[in-house]
Amino acid sequence: MRTKQEYLIRYKDGNLYCELADIWIDPTKPVKKALITHAHFDHFTFGCEEYISTKETAILLKGRVGGNIKIKTFEYGEEFKINGINISFHPSGHILGSSQIRFIFAEEKWLISGDFKLQKDETCKQFEIVKTDYLISECTFGLPIFKWDETNKIANDISKWITNSPEKTSLLFCYSLGKAQRLLNEISQTNFKGNIYSHESIHKMNNSYKKLGIDIKDTIKIENKKKIDELKGSLILLPPSLSKGSYLKNFKNIQTAFASGWMSIRALRKRSGYDKGFAISDHADWDGILEVVKNSEAKNVFFHHGDSEALSKYLVEKESINVLLFGK
Amino acid sequence: MSLKKFSELFGDLDSINSTNNKIEVLKKYFLSNEPIDNSWAIYLLTGKSNKRFISGRYLKNLFSQIYEYPEWLIDTCYLKVGDSAEVITLLLKNKTTSRNKKLSNISLNELLSKTIPELSNLNEEEKNLQIKNIWERLPEDYHLIFNKILTGTFRVGVSIGLITKSISKLINIDEEIISHRLMGNFKPSIDSYEFLINKNINLQELNSKPFPFLLANTIEDKIFKHSINDFQFEWKYDGIRMQLIKRSGNVSLWTRGQELVNESFPELVEKMSHIKDDFVLDGELLVWDFKEQIALDFSLLQKRINRKSPNRAIQIKYPIIFIAYDLLEINGRDIREIKLENRRIELEKYFSKWQNKRENNISDIFKICDLIFPKDWLDALTYKEKSRENNTEGLIIKKKTSIYYSGRKKGIWWKYKVDPMQLDAVLIYARGGSGRRAGLYTDYSFALWKDQELIKFASAYSGLTNIEIKELDKWIRKNTIEKFGPVRSLKPEMVFEISFEKIQISKRHKSGIAVRFPRITKWRKDKKIYDADSLENAYKLMKKIS
Repeated sequence: MRTKQEYLIRYKDGNLYCELADIWIDPTKPVKKALITHAHFDHFTFGCEEYISTKETAILLKGRVGGNIKIKTFEYGEEFKINGINISFHPSGHILGSSQIRFIFAEEKWLISGDFKLQKDETCKQFEIVKTDYLISECTFGLPIFKWDETNKIANDISKWITNSPEKTSLLFCYSLGKAQRLLNEISQTNFKGNIYSHESIHKMNNSYKKLGIDIKDTIKIENKKKIDELKGSLILLPPSLSKGSYLKNFKNIQTAFASGWMSIRALRKRSGYDKGFAISDHADWDGILEVVKNSEAKNVFFHHGDSEALSKYLVEKESINVLLFGK
Repeated sequence: MSLKKFSELFGDLDSINSTNNKIEVLKKYFLSNEPIDNSWAIYLLTGKSNKRFISGRYLKNLFSQIYEYPEWLIDTCYLKVGDSAEVITLLLKNKTTSRNKKLSNISLNELLSKTIPELSNLNEEEKNLQIKNIWERLPEDYHLIFNKILTGTFRVGVSIGLITKSISKLINIDEEIISHRLMGNFKPSIDSYEFLINKNINLQELNSKPFPFLLANTIEDKIFKHSINDFQFEWKYDGIRMQLIKRSGNVSLWTRGQELVNESFPELVEKMSHIKDDFVLDGELLVWDFKEQIALDFSLLQKRINRKSPNRAIQIKYPIIFIAYDLLEINGRDIREIKLENRRIELEKYFSKWQNKRENNISDIFKICDLIFPKDWLDALTYKEKSRENNTEGLIIKKKTSIYYSGRKKGIWWKYKVDPMQLDAVLIYARGGSGRRAGLYTDYSFALWKDQELIKFASAYSGLTNIEIKELDKWIRKNTIEKFGPVRSLKPEMVFEISFEKIQISKRHKSGIAVRFPRITKWRKDKKIYDADSLENAYKLMKKIS
């Protein structure tokens, strides 16, 4: 067996790093070359000399941080070479442009899952099954208590939640990139036909999606000066950062909800401070993670981003899959 | 259909924060369901269904056995969720393969009066099989309610006051009457529900129950503008507030938590039953030092309250006294509507009459509270400062002209607590101790309410006895929600009285306040988390000091 230093990809300073290619994956500090799996800010840091991502991720990133970064882009499935290593992006189903990244070197395959989900989402490409020898997977929701409902069931719950309180303004908090667009797409297919407003940050992302050819329902950009009456019975999408503090004072007679996978647990729902929680996630649930591990045919698996203890033990005991630990 | 409706009601109550909306939802529910199901709903929502048919551990083992699931995995999930019934509910999702949901139309009544109680008549094997059958046949949406009732952990953020309000609004009858009807042993039946919503008030039926307690508010500055002569002053004893009732010869002893505790204090019941008059007395039960004429520590009282039918030795070791504050009813005559000062005259009159009976000496178990007569407010303050010397918590100040309202009526009764300042807070985090306390969770963080949220406000590690520390440690390990390194976040369930010396504004803390020398002064096992203080109370306290 090889030592940790000899793995093609390993942890270095808390980040995934491929020494042979001298390239980092979603680094949290400035480096020379960074592969970016998707455009969420916890996977991106300023100051790298060069970024490499899918075309969609590049456009979304530039929409968020301005055009002043150097990004090289590749299509899904298109292979490129760095220091003799073949690298390619594959859809991960997390948000628009999100990808798994495969490395092939000397016939050995490595796959970094990135953030992923298997559920239907019309606003991005469906997760692609990629075979590999080594799999580095996220496991944000790596416990069997996490089992997602069908997306349209949640959308109908949201629709009912709004229409059952026609005298109220319904504030739905969700991440402004990915989750918001997915929700908009799903909600527009429900019985809810009222006005939908969105916060500037979400509005901006909606426009980026539209530019990339994704059909997103039109929403009205929320202005602080909006009359209270006009907002009655309508839905407003807001980023979670605005849920605390004075921003909510702009509205009267509201009900609030948070759309997140964590909302499937009652204690977290209660502690969150929102009236209601909708358990919908852009990450895979327990069964989803197991399915991806199996379908990838990986003989060796690493986990990161989450509590991997239970998942690792389960795979070793029940599926006889070799789960390895990163030396951090 | 009614279990479906109850399940929806549970979901709604769980996700609505506004009191008014909760009341609306409850009213709608009561209007659209059968009396028997309504009666069960009230029984469940007021937390009277705490009978445990099987333990959480049993439930987890059973699930593990049926679905061949590793127990350690269930335990790991439990750490995240903090409730066995909910863990199993989440794990059961998509697990039950039976398409035949025969129980989808089961009523709340059938589930609670038949399906679940019948489990107790089965042997283990039959019981396990039956639970599995129910899981298979019950629609997934009902699993949580079923599992929670099974494990005796059904709780939802609804107070008895809210139920009272909803019913009161439903039938347009005063809350006092409803709260009276709801007191004591509410047994679910068509009759009990019909009684509850009966628009004719039947005094005789009401007679067997205590009156709603009148509660004191924390003192506010405006009181000092009034003449001292407008008020009656009493010591604030630190015991258990109770109503001692004798009607038609029967004595009953009710706590403020609506528990009938005759069995814990048989000597008091015995003595009082020999008094010729009928009466309802409001007062405090204490463990008493008869030689020094002083209250003994609350912890000694705890030794009595949890023990039913105490033997003679226990009765002698922990001698109790009932100190009456107020007379509410005498020989069938409800006198709550007459002024406090006149009720006091009646109380003194009857006390001297009862006391002077040679054949029944009650002085070793009963007295009326002594009054204090401060000259002015400054003098009152001096009395308050002295209250530590006689083991009381401060003063109770009552408006002489006030009638006996029910609930926390503003502006008539005040509590003027002695420093240190105290707040009742909920335990939310624990950290392992070091040195002598290594291996035990001995450093605690406490929270106060802000709307529906618990906000951390102080950490404390001193004040508990070694025995209490061990007991709490055990509880902490069983009730951890999450671990972050050495710190555990805990299921909010335990309430403690926290004392401190100074309270001031602090931008560094989420709560916005900082307290000096916080310490635990009492483990309030008698309190539910909803009884804990709010941050607002802390702010009020701060205002009062400065």
